[in-house]
This record gives sequence, structure tokens and C-alpha cells, in this order.
Amino acid sequence: MAKEKDTKPMANTVIGSSIVIDGEITGEESLTILGTVKGKISVAQNLVVESGATVEADVEAQTVTVSGRLTGNVVARERIELKPESKMVGDAKSPRIVIADGAGFKGNVDMDV
Amino acid sequence: MADKETVIGADTRISGEVRGDEDLVVRGRIDGRVQLTQNLTVEKGATVQADVDVRQLVVSGTVVGAIVASESVKLMSTARVVGDLASPRVMMEAGAAYRGRVDMGDIAAARAAVSSRVAQRPAASEKAAIRPAPPRMAMPGKVVVAGKAAAPVAPTTAARSTAPAVAGAAAPASPPAFPRVAGAMGGMAPAWAKKKIRRR
Repeated sequence: MAKEKDTKPMANTVIGSSIVIDGEITGEESLTILGTVKGKISVAQNLVVESGATVEADVEAQTVTVSGRLTGNVVARERIELKPESKMVGDAKSPRIVIADGAGFKGNVDMDV
Repeated sequence: MADKETVIGADTRISGEVRGDEDLVVRGRIDGRVQLTQNLTVEKGATVQADVDVRQLVVSGTVVGAIVASESVKLMSTARVVGDLASPRVMMEAGAAYRGRVDMGDIAAARAAVSSRVAQRPAASEKAAIRPAPPRMAMPGKVVVAGKAAAPVAPTTAARSTAPAVAGAAAPASPPAFPRVAGAMGGMAPAWAKKKIRRR
């Protein structure tokens, strides 16, 4: 499928920019966050943290793409991608991790090697 | 970016609090609390088990919880709603199922009631913690009855009262004392008592 298409059109759940969620999000589909989420996120598909978004949560997903700000431990079964301008603090665990030029990252990287 | 709209997909579940200043469409599930300055749409197949405080509410799915809508509430024909409802305009289509109280008057009071309900939530969890107690209370009762049946046997009662005191050290020794006490009762109490001592 069009997985390379940045997952955005596939995202069935969108958390808008003015939304604040305090708690747990679980799902079998993709999740795009433009707002704020605190707590825990566990999705079977892709998680996209858009620029301007703030996530303070432990994350579990297939792929995680960060353009905004993410604080917490991230486990991705497939890939973690930190875009330019993104900020991430926490441990990243995934077989493939991409950190773009300009991205900010502090934490451990575990690629299972 | 579908202009300022938040969607909770059909296979997504949120438990906790959702707050915001934009429209929210729920196709999946939210448990907890929803507070928006804009509109909430609960689509067919979606479940919101939460106290809801929004501007306009349109329900085609299921909502369980106290509802406050500053502008209007509309229950479509497929809606299933349980909970008190406060809004100046309330519309219900034929086929909508609703149980609760409707208040088209004092929204501020209803809103206060909802927030106080949220404050009381911890009490509910306390209740849950207390719940396991009754079986424990019932069991000693059985033991007492067993003691009464064997009332003439004073030594065994004494043995029983000393047993808990040394339960930690004399756990292997105490079980024989119990079958004697409740032998006439079919041995239910001793089985329980043995288990309990072993657990300690």
C-alpha cells in the first residue's frame, strides 16, 4: 500500500491542533496528532506527530514519524523517523531509525543489534 | 489538514480526558470526559462513555454519561443515550433511544453537577476496593457457627484462638486443629482456613 506516502492520507484518527488529550489512546489504525496528548499511545499502524504537536507519552506503533515535539519512550515495530525541526526526548527502540539533519534528540537508541 | 477537525477513527479508543476548541467527530470510542468549546458528533457505531460538555452535540451512536451542551443536542434515529441531559435546545428523532432527565433550563447548574460528579469519581474506586470484603466477613461467620455446634468442646476453641497468634511460625501445626472444630459442618470452613493461613 501507499506506506511511503507519509501515512497522512491513511490516518483514520486525527487529533486536531487545539485538542488536549489526557489519558490513553489505543487503536488498530493510524493516528495523526496536531494537538497535545499526554499519557500513553498504542496504535497498530502509524503514528504521525505533526509540527506544532506536543506528545508526552510512551508510544508503541508500527512506524512513528515526528515533526513536532515528543517526550517519552518510543517503540516502533518498523521505523522511527525524526524530521527536521522535530524534538524528541526519550528512548527510541526500532529496527530502523532515521534522524534528519536539524532534528533534536536526547535519549537512548536501541536498534536491536 | 481537513480544516480543524478532529476524528477518532472507528478502531481507536481513548480513555481519559479530551479537551479542545474545535469540532470532534467520534467513530470509535472515548471513555472518560469530553470538554469542547465546539461541537461533538458521535457517529453511528461509536461509543462515548463519558461526561460530555460541548456546544452542540449530535448523536447517531451511543453515549453514556452526563451531557451538557451550551447550544443544542440532537439525537438521531440510531442514537442510544443514557444519562442526564442539559441544553437549551433538545431534538430527538423518531427511533432515538434515551433514558435520563432532560433539563432545558439552568445549564450552569447542570455543568456544576457534572464537575462535582467528576470530583466524586475516586469514591467509586474506593467502593471497588471495599467490595472484596464481604466474602471475608461471611467466612468467619461460618466458623463461628461451627464453633457453636461444637460448643462443648472447649479445648478446640482455645486451640483455635491461639492458632492465629502463632500462625506465622506454627502454620504446619495449626491445620489439624481446624478439621476437629468444623468436622460436623462438612469441612468447608477448614479448607478456607487452611488456604488463608498458607497465604500468610
